Amino acid sequence: MTAPYLELPQGTLDLLILRTLSLGSQHGWAISERVQQLSSEALRIQQGSLYPALHRLERRGLIKANWGTTENNRRAKYYELSKKGRAQLEVEKEAWAKLTAAVAQVLGTA
Amino acid sequence: MLNGLFRDLSFRLRALFRPKAVESELDDELRFHFDQEVEKHMRAGLTREEATRTTRLEFGGLSQVKEECRESRGISIPESIGRDINFAFRQLRRTPGFSITVLLTLALGIGANSAIFTLVNAVLQKNLPVVDPATLIRLGEANDCCVGSGVRDSVSYFSTDAYLQFKKNVPEFEELAAMQAGFAYRPVIARRERTQDPARSVMGEFVSGNYFRTFGLQPEVGRLFADADDTAGAPATAVMSYETWQHHFSGDSSIVGSTFVINTKPVTIIGIAPRNFFGDRLISTPPDYYLPIETMPLLANVPYVHNPSQNWLYIIGRVKRGTEIGPLQQKISMLLRDELVAAGRLSPKSDKERLARIQVALTPGGAGIQSMQKQYGDQLHLLMWIASLVLLIACANIANLLLVRGIGRSAELSVRSALGARRGRIIRQLLTESMLLAGLGGIAGLLVAWAGARLLLALAFPASQNVPIHATPAPAVVGFATGLSLSTGILFGLAPAWIASKLQPADALRTGSRTAVPGASLLQRGLVVFQVALSLVLLIGAGLFLKSLSNLENTDLKLNASNRYIVHINAQAAGYVQTQLDTLYHTIEDRFHSLPGMAKVGIASYTPMEDNNNGWGIQAHIHPESSAIASVIRANGDYFDSVGTHVVRGRGINAQDGPNKPRVAVVNQTFVNKMFRPGEDPIGQHFGFPGSDTNTDWEIVGVVEDTVYQSVRMKDHLMFFIPTMQRPAGTKQPIEKDDGLFAGAIVLATDRPMDNMQHLAQTTLAGINPNLTVVRFQTFNDQITASFGQERLLSRLTMLFGALALLLATIGLYGVTAYSVVRRSPEIGIRMALGADRSTIISMVLRGATIQTALGLLIGIPVAFLCVRFVKSQLYEIARVDLNGMTICIVVLALAAFVAAIIPALRAASINPVSALKMD
Repeated sequence: MTAPYLELPQGTLDLLILRTLSLGSQHGWAISERVQQLSSEALRIQQGSLYPALHRLERRGLIKANWGTTENNRRAKYYELSKKGRAQLEVEKEAWAKLTAAVAQVLGTA
Repeated sequence: MLNGLFRDLSFRLRALFRPKAVESELDDELRFHFDQEVEKHMRAGLTREEATRTTRLEFGGLSQVKEECRESRGISIPESIGRDINFAFRQLRRTPGFSITVLLTLALGIGANSAIFTLVNAVLQKNLPVVDPATLIRLGEANDCCVGSGVRDSVSYFSTDAYLQFKKNVPEFEELAAMQAGFAYRPVIARRERTQDPARSVMGEFVSGNYFRTFGLQPEVGRLFADADDTAGAPATAVMSYETWQHHFSGDSSIVGSTFVINTKPVTIIGIAPRNFFGDRLISTPPDYYLPIETMPLLANVPYVHNPSQNWLYIIGRVKRGTEIGPLQQKISMLLRDELVAAGRLSPKSDKERLARIQVALTPGGAGIQSMQKQYGDQLHLLMWIASLVLLIACANIANLLLVRGIGRSAELSVRSALGARRGRIIRQLLTESMLLAGLGGIAGLLVAWAGARLLLALAFPASQNVPIHATPAPAVVGFATGLSLSTGILFGLAPAWIASKLQPADALRTGSRTAVPGASLLQRGLVVFQVALSLVLLIGAGLFLKSLSNLENTDLKLNASNRYIVHINAQAAGYVQTQLDTLYHTIEDRFHSLPGMAKVGIASYTPMEDNNNGWGIQAHIHPESSAIASVIRANGDYFDSVGTHVVRGRGINAQDGPNKPRVAVVNQTFVNKMFRPGEDPIGQHFGFPGSDTNTDWEIVGVVEDTVYQSVRMKDHLMFFIPTMQRPAGTKQPIEKDDGLFAGAIVLATDRPMDNMQHLAQTTLAGINPNLTVVRFQTFNDQITASFGQERLLSRLTMLFGALALLLATIGLYGVTAYSVVRRSPEIGIRMALGADRSTIISMVLRGATIQTALGLLIGIPVAFLCVRFVKSQLYEIARVDLNGMTICIVVLALAAFVAAIIPALRAASINPVSALKMD
């Protein structure tokens, strides 16, 4: 399956998840859909990496999980940002901005 | 921070204690995602089937995702190990044959080794439980025993005078202690005063006053000896061993200070020796009482304590730190030479060269007097080698079984890796299984080791209750054996996992079980060949020891043991003096003869097949140019008949040969052959101590057959027998000093078996004198059997190990053959479908097994021939591998191999071609 999607650079998955959850609590599937949508279909998260990442973030206390029901009345596990996660998001966003700016600068002057 | 820690902990705890909940939540979560994805595709216009299929393809390995989630939650370590173990248990239970075989192999391999090594450790490497054993030095190196006047070049036991000289003149020793060399051969008779306790024959060791101080020991109760206790005229005192205090007097504290009657004399118990202290040497009969040397003349009535020409003491000392051993050895040797000259034992002129050769070797004394170490050392080392071979075979077997199993599972492993299990995960699972097996095997091995060590001890020392050797396996030993089996388990459990995990799952699944994994089977076959070779060596060895034992046991001892009983006595300890002995012996003869059923009552210094010997240097009057050493026994008139010795010429000793009658002797045939030329009539000849004035002392009146005395191995041995109370003519020794007159044993021959003979002997002796007790009672048969004990033990153990090796090799061969049949069953199916008949299939399967067995035998035979050299000294009248024995071993091994191979071969032949082909 040759995907039209971009490869996610190392470490950006956590940032994307945190960013998506900053808009409100979501279940896993919705997170992946949302990322796809926000990136205009350029990015797509495989569930093979999504769920391990979610569980990792939960363990680190950056996000919290609760069981809820969807609009179709199905049980789903909803994730939301914790206070610590919100702070972490700011830190990572800043770092990402610095990184991309630096990379862009290097590419631009090359 | 603390908060985070708490959350992390609760997370992990939940995973640990509620793994099901966590798991099902993960399932629900992923299921939800899956369903959402399916619905999304359906919204895009796919049918449910198509949508489900697409989603499944996108999803990839579900279990892999789950596994990664578990890992990223950080809960995987304890939980998944528990899961692995659980799974491993189920796997092992699914193949009980395999699991039990591996466990048994491990248990026997580890157990047998640990048991032997425990014994080796306990006997060969044990230091005395004393303070700083490293600074203890023994004077001498050999186990010369027990009382003697001869002087060897290397002196190992000493006279009291020599000891006192060393003590006075060698300040390099902080303490120098002396102890009785032969206490084990001279029991004392002890009884607590003013109690109903019967007098018992027990071990008493005479030691110097500084004995306990030299070893740095503290009393358990009371006090230990001081120098004052060991002076002439001091009140008789004794220290009791802790074991005796506990076992015979239940640790009664009133024992200390109480009076005991030892050899009929009152002795005060001043204290209890420390717990665990078993004396100065490892021996199956450790001392019950320690007694000061200076009280020995009074208590034991022996003349040698203050005789400067009688050696009877071992010496152990504690050197001061920084003492050079070399110069010290020179100094002590010099002192001994001076002492030998001063005592008149050697002349500085005529014995000049001998004197220069005489020396005292200083040896490490931390382990005490190493008599048992010398006695059992060779055999223990041999057993150690054999046990190591068995462990090697066991390891080869486990390796083989694990390989067989691991490779057999390659299909399963491929499926699991296709389902998303990562290589590391699969390896971990297989590792868990082998570790679990090895761990369980290790535990079983410990049990076998514990029981085995006990069994070995019981076999090695059948008659003694308080051998100071404990059967608890040494931790180092168990650690080594367990480590070895664990590493075997890990290594050979991992090898197939490694091979399997390197395969592309798709390849493995495609080829299925129709082809074998290359390489492994060569290794397996090699292991089987190795096992067969080793077991052949062990079997041949076992055969040799069996033959050796039967050579020993089938030796014609020229004795008659039926309805014969040996009663050991010690009249000296019972308070008799030499002048009372003639009367005592007649009383013994009369009293025992009056018992119903009594046929013969023999009285002798010692009896055949007991560990005792007394030699005299002698010379025949007509051949004064040569002399020889001959064993001497004082015996009464009934003695020859009582042990079944036949008089072949002249007469035996009779009741008329009293103390004041002409001196007569009966000699054995070897004596005649060695002392006289062919054609010379021995009857009427005279012999005696070398010298023209003494070599006429004894007149030969009869010749008896050669019979076995101390040991079957002692052959062509000169012996002569003289009447109980006759003494050499010119002896200057007063009768009161002649210990040789004390008879050691009564031999009773009855006309029918008598079960109550021990009791009868006790009451009869007590009727003569209450202090005259039975020192040791055995039937003659038991005494003869006991003298083969060590050989029998060795033979049994080698048989046991040989059988074990055979069993393991058979299992190994079976495993490999059965496995190859399973692997080749589709091929066999095709062959049968193409017309091959049962016998073709059977011979095809047998061919492999035959080749491996034959190779093993080819390697094993020359190795066995080589190994015989190393055990020859342990064998009796066997110089090389005999062909009959070897043929039997080969046949036995071949039969076992045939059985191991025919079972899978028959199974192969009964394969139904159709189902075999359908199997995949």
